[in-house]
Amino acid sequence: MASVLIVDDAAFMRTSLKLMLEKNGFTVVGEADNGAAAIQKYMELNPNIVTMDITMPVLDGIEATKKIKEVDPQAKVVIVSAMGQESYVRDAVVAGAKNFIVKPFKEEHVLKVLNSL
Amino acid sequence: MLEMYKFETNQLLEQMEQVVINSEKSNCCSQEAINEIFRIMHTIKGSSAMMLFNGISTLAHSIEDLFFYLREYKPENVDYMKLSDLVLSCTDFIKEELSKIERGVEPDGNPDESVNIIKAYLTELKGDGGGNAIQENTDEKKDEGKKQKYFITRSLSDNSEKTLYKAVIYFEEGCEMENIRAFTVMHSLKNIAQDIMCEPEDVIENEESTRFIRENGFKMQFYSDKTYEEIENILNETIFLKKLELEVVDNNDTANVNKKKPVIDLESDRSITPEAVRTEKEKEKEQANKTLLHNFISEAMVTSNPDLKGLSLDNFNKAASQLKKITGELQDIVMSIRMVPLSATFQKMHRIVRDMCKKLDKDVELEILGETTEVDKNIIENISDPLMHLIRNSLDHGIETKEERIKNGKSQKGKITLEARNEGGEVIIIVKDDGRGLNKEKILQKALDHGLIQDINREIPDREIFSMIFLPGFSTKENVTEFSGRGVGMDVVSNNIEKIGGVVNVDSIAGEGTTMTIRIPLTLAIIDGMNIRVSNSTYTIPITSIKESFRAKEEDLITDPDGNEMIMVRGDCYPIIRIHKLFNIKDSITNISEGITIMVESEMNTVCLFADELLGEQQVVVKALPQYIKKVKGIAGCTLLGEGTISLILDIAALVKMK
Repeated sequence: MASVLIVDDAAFMRTSLKLMLEKNGFTVVGEADNGAAAIQKYMELNPNIVTMDITMPVLDGIEATKKIKEVDPQAKVVIVSAMGQESYVRDAVVAGAKNFIVKPFKEEHVLKVLNSL
Repeated sequence: MLEMYKFETNQLLEQMEQVVINSEKSNCCSQEAINEIFRIMHTIKGSSAMMLFNGISTLAHSIEDLFFYLREYKPENVDYMKLSDLVLSCTDFIKEELSKIERGVEPDGNPDESVNIIKAYLTELKGDGGGNAIQENTDEKKDEGKKQKYFITRSLSDNSEKTLYKAVIYFEEGCEMENIRAFTVMHSLKNIAQDIMCEPEDVIENEESTRFIRENGFKMQFYSDKTYEEIENILNETIFLKKLELEVVDNNDTANVNKKKPVIDLESDRSITPEAVRTEKEKEKEQANKTLLHNFISEAMVTSNPDLKGLSLDNFNKAASQLKKITGELQDIVMSIRMVPLSATFQKMHRIVRDMCKKLDKDVELEILGETTEVDKNIIENISDPLMHLIRNSLDHGIETKEERIKNGKSQKGKITLEARNEGGEVIIIVKDDGRGLNKEKILQKALDHGLIQDINREIPDREIFSMIFLPGFSTKENVTEFSGRGVGMDVVSNNIEKIGGVVNVDSIAGEGTTMTIRIPLTLAIIDGMNIRVSNSTYTIPITSIKESFRAKEEDLITDPDGNEMIMVRGDCYPIIRIHKLFNIKDSITNISEGITIMVESEMNTVCLFADELLGEQQVVVKALPQYIKKVKGIAGCTLLGEGTISLILDIAALVKMK
């Protein structure tokens, strides 16, 4: 099953997503709490999928997505965004994100998006 | 999950409070501070929405909006006082809601009022000042919008070879952000399609577009050299696709081939798992398990079987020492889990000082020293309230008004120092102010009125007088203020501190200030102890308080006219406490040269204890004396030894005070 790297600065969000994914057969191989750490973890773990928060310290999710796509153009990045961040999501899609999940996320939505990749 | 949510949200709130107070001090809000508050609120909003705490989420959202504005438009007319009041009142609201959650009550607070205030403030900010910025920024945004559409309006190429397609995409209901989803679809076509035209045209910038797509679907028209099937496959990959209508439009309008192939219903049955909220009972159980585990580990650590004593079992001993090493490491880890730095508790005081200064119109600086000092978790839980009370008390009663301070030749700005440090096996927390000090006469008078003392002329040491303020119903302040002065409280302080095995002392110099010193044991769970024997009884002395032990010579013994014994060690004289005399133990060694003398120290004072023999060093789990045994002077608690006997732990501080 697909390996996932979860990127979010809120531990709560990471854990809820992790529980949700693990329950449905995904392997969460790593977590990162900012964009810079995400890039490092991506290179280290080479996961199938990255879930990426937008608003984060050090380096935001859009920049991190860009960098990850530079390193690996095949990378599958899914943006995790809140309502009201539409324009950021658009930037992230342009930057190469495959798709996005809207917070607060529903399990079926998350699965649908991740399974489609 | 709920635990985690509460923990993280609380932590974020404290962090934010800190940022706000720091910004307020410097009367500006740095870009980093704005970013941080924005981020924190964003996170809280998201987490709260996940947990379905909509009140918190709504409020956090409105603050997020406010700080988004501050971040993007950098208005100059910001009243930082007002801003921090606003933000702090919101953190209070969220905290209140969190405490409701903590108690298992539905967080039903209505944030509308606060939200409206924030909205009004935001409108005010937008209204005047920063107008230029807005203008500039919207222009910028427009540019950005155009830039992003580059692949949509790619120059009209020769399309004669290509087919013109028309597609309508319907998204599932409730999938949210339909406009971005539409944008994603367009984006996925950018490499294979030209001259994409769509309706609504402005997918992202126009707020109406989401509604339009929901109602009418997202309509596209584009040229592509791909076949119908290829295009269909690509579009079918769209997530949350409910229905796709794709048709080929004939360029020449001659053969109106309508390959309409609608309705690919992807809607599957939905199963929404309700947010699992843990019941109170489960939480309690988990907590109990944790405590149990900890006690179990502690016991395992220190229990050693006396049956094995004196047997020579080389291999067994090797294995045992290996096990001891491992359990030792385990213990260290378990203990470190319990140890928490005081910083969070200390930082909370900034807020209290800030609020009170505002209300009382005083100017006070709070200095914090040694906040990284770590103490046991259950101490943290119990120390917060007493500390808060002491700080309030210092601010309210200790520090004088600005005018009074100037009149007394002090600087207008008062100072409260909050300090923590480790000393031996204890943590010392000091609350010091440079205010007017305690009024000895007033306290005495009050004590007399309350019948606490009979004779005012009797000489009472200062410390004893000062410690009277901790008696119930004692307040020398005539005016009751909002914060303190009702006379309930100071006794609560001492009660709370005693509960965690601590003591509180007061020192005060009139006109110069008051110092409150709280001493609490570093950990309540395990101490390194030295077991000693007196006749048939075993006692334990905390290793940290032992200076040395030796066999005394009779000629060093000095007896004063009152019969008090002292011993001369390297030219210094120390009082001797014979434990058998203290606790009335029969059949013990009485000859000083036959037993053992242990020199112990507490608070810079030293005494010598006399016992029959030393049994050895051991880590012991400290247990409180049972309720039905009234406080015994000189005993701090008890512990179970390996062979199952009870050893009493000596309270060195109390013993030293006896002399």
